[in-house]
Parts: sequence; C-alpha cells; structure tokens
Amino acid sequence: MEHSFSLPNSGHNYDAKASKLGMWLFLYTELLLFGGLFMVYMVYRALNPDAFLIASFNLNVWLGTINTVVLLTSSMTVAMSITAIQKGNSKLSLILLALTVAAAVIFLVIKYFEWGAKIEHGFWPGMDHFTNLPFGEQLYFYLYFFMTGLHGLHVVVGMVFILIVMKKIKNGSQNKNKNQLLENSGLYWHLVDLIWIYLFPLFYLIH
Amino acid sequence: MEDSYHITGYAEHFGTWVSLILLTFMTVFISVFGADLNTLTVATALFIASVKALVVAYYFMHLKYDPKIYRIMILIVMSMFVIFLIMLIFDYLTR
Amino acid sequence: MTGTSASQPSYLDVTKGLFSWIFTLDHKRIGLLYLYTVGSFFLVGVILGVIMRLELFNPGADIIEAQTYNQVFTLHGVIMVFLFIIPSIPAVFGNFFLPIMLGTDDVAFPRINLMSWWLYVIGAIFALGTLIFGDGPADTGWTFYAPYSVKTGTNVSMTVLAAFVLGFSSILTGLNFIVTIHRLRAPGMGFNDMPLFSWALYATSWIQLLATPIIGITLLMILAERVLGIGLFDPAIGGDPILYQHLFWIYSHPAVYIMALPAMGIVSEIIPTFSQRTIFGYKAIAYSSMGIALVGYFVWGHHMFTSGMSGPSAWIFSLLTFFVAIPTSIKVFNWLATLYKGSIDIEVPLLYALAFIFNFLIGGLTGLVVGALAADVHLHDTYFVVGHFHYVMLGGTGFAFIGGLHYWFPKMWGKMYNKAVAKLAFAIIFIGLNILYFPMLILGVMGMPRRYYDYLPEFHTLNQVSTVGSWIMVTGLIIMLVNLFIAHRKGKKAPDNPWNGITLEWQTKSPPPLYNFDKMPKLAKGGPYNYPNAKNS
Ligand code: HEM
Repeated sequence: MEHSFSLPNSGHNYDAKASKLGMWLFLYTELLLFGGLFMVYMVYRALNPDAFLIASFNLNVWLGTINTVVLLTSSMTVAMSITAIQKGNSKLSLILLALTVAAAVIFLVIKYFEWGAKIEHGFWPGMDHFTNLPFGEQLYFYLYFFMTGLHGLHVVVGMVFILIVMKKIKNGSQNKNKNQLLENSGLYWHLVDLIWIYLFPLFYLIH
Repeated sequence: MEDSYHITGYAEHFGTWVSLILLTFMTVFISVFGADLNTLTVATALFIASVKALVVAYYFMHLKYDPKIYRIMILIVMSMFVIFLIMLIFDYLTR
Repeated sequence: MTGTSASQPSYLDVTKGLFSWIFTLDHKRIGLLYLYTVGSFFLVGVILGVIMRLELFNPGADIIEAQTYNQVFTLHGVIMVFLFIIPSIPAVFGNFFLPIMLGTDDVAFPRINLMSWWLYVIGAIFALGTLIFGDGPADTGWTFYAPYSVKTGTNVSMTVLAAFVLGFSSILTGLNFIVTIHRLRAPGMGFNDMPLFSWALYATSWIQLLATPIIGITLLMILAERVLGIGLFDPAIGGDPILYQHLFWIYSHPAVYIMALPAMGIVSEIIPTFSQRTIFGYKAIAYSSMGIALVGYFVWGHHMFTSGMSGPSAWIFSLLTFFVAIPTSIKVFNWLATLYKGSIDIEVPLLYALAFIFNFLIGGLTGLVVGALAADVHLHDTYFVVGHFHYVMLGGTGFAFIGGLHYWFPKMWGKMYNKAVAKLAFAIIFIGLNILYFPMLILGVMGMPRRYYDYLPEFHTLNQVSTVGSWIMVTGLIIMLVNLFIAHRKGKKAPDNPWNGITLEWQTKSPPPLYNFDKMPKLAKGGPYNYPNAKNS
C-alpha cells in the first residue's frame, strides 16, 4: 500500500482477542443480571426458610437432575465443537453443535412440562390455589418462575446464537483460523449452564 | 493469528464432563438422603455448585489457559458480588 | 479498511446526507449524534425544571396541579438522569476523543457503538412515549420506589422499560471503551501514558458494566409485577419494599460516579493544558478514579438511612461514605497543585473547570452532610438534597460538559467561537446556578420537603430567589448555545492546536480526518502532560 498510511492498532481490523474480551465483559453483565435475582432470593429465603422448604417439595428433583445432566452434556459438546474446528474438522464441529441444539430443545421441553404441571395445579400467580398459599411460598414461586423463565430465555438466545454460528461454519466464514464467534457462542452457552448450576440446588435441593 | 493458542483435547473435555456429572449426583444424593444435615445442606449444596461452576469456567470456558488478566477480572467481579451479598444480608440479620 | 490515503477528507466531509450520519460507524460522528440527542434532551429537561420553578414561585397551585407536578418532576428526573447525564460525557466526548487520545482510528466495536446509539434513541422514544400512551407519564419520582410504582395508574411500565433499554445502551458503551483501552492503545502507550480522561472513562466504563445489570433486573421485576402480577416487592404478600431500595441504589449510587468521574477526567485535561504544566500527581489522579469507582459500589445504603434499614447497617454505610471523600479530595488537591506556579491562561474552558471545582466542592461537602447519619435523618427528602445533587450534577458534571464542549469545539468542527461572549455566558450561568440552588440548601435546612408543588408561607422569599436564579441561568445557557451555534455556522477557522495542548487529539487536523490521523502521532516523552517549555518547579 504505497502512499498510504494506516495506524498499527485499528478498530477496523479483525481482532479475535478484542472480541473475546468483549464477550467476557458481556458475560459479567449477565452474571450480575442474575446476581440481582440471587440477592432477592437470598433475602427472601433468609426471611422465610420454612416456607421455601415446603414450597420446594412441589418441584420434581428428578426432572431437575435430568435437566442438569442435559445442560452439562451440551456444555461438553459445545466445548468439543471448538476443539474440532480448531483442528480443522468443520464437519465434526457442526455435528457437535447440532447435538448442543438438540440438548437445548430437550431442556426446554422438560421445562415446559414442569411449568405446565405447576400451572395445571394452580400455582401460577393469581390462580386460586396460588393466592391461598402462605406468603413465603408465594415468594418462592414468584422467584421460581422469574428466574427459571429468564434462564429459559437465555437458553433460547444461546440456541439462536449457535444456529447462526452453524450457518457461518457451513459457508466457511468460521473456520480453522477464524473461529472467535464460535468460541463466543460457546462462552455464552457455558454461562447459561453456569447459572443453571446454581438455580438447580437453590430451587430443587432445599430438602 | 500470530500467537499459538491452546487446543483442549476431546479427552479432557470428556473428563471434565464426567467430574461434573459425578458432582451433580453427589449433591442430589446429599440433599435427598442427607436431609438431617439441616443448614449444612445449603452450605454443601452451594459449595458443590461453586466447585462445579469453577470446573466449567476453568476447563470448558478455557480460563485455565487464558491470560491471567481474565482470571483476575472474574475474581474481582465475583468478589464484588459476594460483598454485595454480605452487605445486603447484614441489614436483614441486624434488624 | 486499514489502508487510507495520505490526505483524507475530514470526517465531516467524507459523505453527506442524513443516512450517512444515522448509520455511520465512525466514532466521531456517533459522538456528534449523541451530542445532538443528549443536548436536546437536556433542553427538554431544563424546560421542565423551569416549569417546576415557575410553579414554585408562589405557594399553591398556580400553573400546574399537584398530579401534573408529580409527573413533571418524574419526567425531569428521568430525562436528566437517564437521557442526559449518564450518557453525556462518556457517549459524547468519550466516543469522539477516546480513540483519538489513544492514537487509534476507532473504538474496538464500531457496529456495537452504533447500536448503542440506536438503543439510546429507542429508550428515549419510550421515555417520551409515556406522554402519549397509557395514563400519562409516571408520577413516582425517578426512583420508582415500590410499592407505589407498582400500584399507581400512570404509565410506569413504559418508563421503566425505557430505563432498561437505556441501561443496555450504556452497558454497550462501557464495554466498547474497556476493550478499546485494552486493545487499541498506540504502540508504546502503556496504561500509565494514557491521558487522564481515558483513565476516567476506564473507571466509568467498569461502573457502567458492573452496576447497570442490577438496575436492569430490578426494573424488570417492577415490570413483571405490573404486567404479569409476579410481585416480589409487595408487602401484601410478604415482599419487602426496602429490598427494592437496596437493589435500586446498588446501581444508582455507582451511577452517580458514572456522572462524576468523566467530568473529573475533563477537568484533568483542561487544567494542565491551560497551566502549560505537567499534571501534579498523575498516578494519584488516575488511581483515585479507580478508587472512587471501587468504594462507590459499597456506599449505596446512605440513600436509605430513613427507610427502616438496620441501625448497624446504617452506620457502616455512613462510615464508608466518608471514605469516598478521600480519593475525591486527592483529585482536587492535585488540580490545585497543578495550577500553582503554572503559566495560567484564563480561557473559557479553564473558567468552567475552575467553576467545576467550586461547585463540586459545595456539592461534595453537602454530600458529606447528608452522608452523616444523624444529619441525614433531618435532611432526608428535603430541598437540601435537591440543592446538593444539583450542585453535583449541574454545577459539577454539567459544567464539565459545557467546559469540555468549549475545550474541544475547535477540534470537533474546526471553528472558533467568540470568546468574549462565551465568557459572558459563563459568568451568567455560574451566577444563575448559585442563585438557583443555594437557596434550596437553606430551604432544606429550614425543613421544606422535596417533591411537593406547594409550600408553607415562610419559604416564600427563598423560593422566589431560586426561581429568579433559574431565569438567570437559562439566559446564560441560551447565550452560550447561540454563540456556539453561530460559531458552528460561520465561526473563524480554528488552528489545529488552539490551546497548545499536547495530548494526541491536538496533533491531528481540526476537524480530524476520517481515520483520525494522517501520520503516526508522536507520544510526548515522559508522560502525556510533559510540556516541553514548562517551568516545572
Ligand atoms: C435549569 C436547570 C434545572 C432546574 C431549574 C431544575 C429544577 C428542579 C427542581 C425544582 C427539582 C425539584 C422537584 C421537587 O422535588 O419538587 C428538580 C429535581 C430533580 N432534578 Fe433538576 N433542575 C435543573 C437541572 C437538572 C439537571 C441538569 C439534572 C441532572 C443532571 C437534574 C436532575 C434532577 C433530578 C434527578 C431531580 C429529582 C427528581 C425526583 O425527585 O424524582 N436537574 N429539579
């Protein structure tokens, strides 16, 4: 490039490290977003320990455990898909991502049935059975719906994120040498997993 | 990219997964069958959850192989959050 | 896009047309977009403020009724806080100058930068949309305290949504700046060779990043309660409204430093330039920014002394509050030490910077008064508080903003304003400000509560003084704006370096070329403020 001048550090260059740093910073905001809810949870649980215990018996530990295993497995597949693409094996990477998406769908389906069962039994805010519950138990269910709902939303977002990356791997714009987007979607997916790791004992395992 | 980066092997990911699953069963087991531990169950459940979180962050999220700054930053963020929790609950415990 | 020809057009001339602006990826144009939008909302906020002052000219409902007054002060607060002051300095001057000061050609993520402006616009539309949709703008005060915010019939939902979207915009700006500072500094520029404005932005960005999500989720909880009936703060079902206050202030107190730190950054730029002297205590100023950011996270409880928080908590928060004063005064002393024996040029930006110190001193010291547990019990929710935070926000940040505008105006547009008129406008604004807000401090001590359209007869005189002050100040603001507008249209051409500054933005052309620099900028030897001819004694 004769007769031209360019700055060594340019905001217009592709910079994998910058986008990784950016992703991590974004994850902090996600952590604190849920952090706010964990604060509320902590306070209300400290104020109503017994009610939270009784309310938690309404959840099915085994469904929760299955979902935990599903999410952990999907975390592994997404991590492996990064390994695959870094080794140049796009095909394997795609298969592993497809498994991840499948796991996300399974997770959501199970959640759907869990929520459905709760609502059928009248546990949704405003329903008859619900308004008769003691205060602490109502708070428990408010938190349950709010936190798992928000988490479910993140599962959906992560899924869409992964689907987009899959498309990019297919058309070759994510490849052996340039795969930060895949890594970032992996990071996001792990975050979804991380949050569930805390939600699970806090709601299902109060016993 | 100019500098080489670490590629985690499949076996390591699998090993990570196995340990996470084991921890999950452990925490479920303690909670379902060890109910007489009372408040201790909360503590153990949270402790195991934190171990799991650390494993995910270190191996799946690659923190172990990232530059130190990433570990320092997450440490600062998490300790801030913990201080928030402490200061918040302090108010309720001293009312 | 890295290769750029040796004689680039200025960023103002590359392309024309509305779309080349509202979809631009150039950080300088995004900075200006922010300037125009943020500036407009400032004016809307000022108009609302003046309406309140007019209503308070006499006791009783003269021009607006109680309910309208409640909505006006809420809208005033929401606009001023979320639409003006939080984005003001970082999004305008940060966007425009951070990359230039670091010697690079853009922020790390230009697209995200544009997105953050669009989110800002969407948030603004929501905030103002309450005027048209639903049952009128919120009447809760900008703090949206539960349970009232959940029960009132006014359109709190939309306002809260606006604040949520604006928070997201603010997070993206902060994220962008942190990555820019980490990744895009010119070769050879370590963290400790950055201009202090960048340091201030760095600290600010961390606050934006780590505090904003908490208010985001809190506002979502309010929204969930209003829309879905998922009530987490309703005492009727065992919820705790004080918990809402905790969560709100965990964000909103650090947010005060989102307002203050960049302002201090601007002052730290202006003072060395106009004393032609190395800044005194570079590291102390830089690290005290980080210190303020850190301590600022742990003092939120001082807004809640009278809320029913526990006694021990209250005094711990009060104690921690006093610690914030330490890094703040470190800065003030360093600025004064920089001025001492400097070759001072009394130019308009310096006047604003000095006024900043004066106003911030009043704001900061009254802050310590309300931070003291015993005093606050008397002063809480009185006009003392209103006076205090206006001194900080308008007298502090607002002045730094206007000062920064005068400092960088020649660089941004390549034109120079009429300095005599600018000085006159400064004097009027400064006098107006003090006449407007000092009486409020006295009124507060006398016991006049805030957020009422009416007051007892004994507060009459001081309220009239205050209202007259608002007229004076607005006159000054108008003169300033007209002066800048004329300069923008047909001002004299400004030289590249009118103030003889040595940070990197003064090494490039005015206005800067599209990619900021035509040749590699040279870092000053021995730190960003090492003036070659200074008598450094
Ligand atoms: C000409 C300029 C201004 C005037 C005349 C003005 C006037 C007022 C008045 C009279 C109140 C008290 C309402 C009450 O408690 O009854 C008020 C509240 C407030 N002002 Fe301003 N103000 C001005 C500029 C600003 C600026 C620049 C900011 C922030 C950057 C600001 C932020 C606020 C906030 C946050 C409140 C509290 C609203 C609430 O109680 O919810 N104001 N203003």
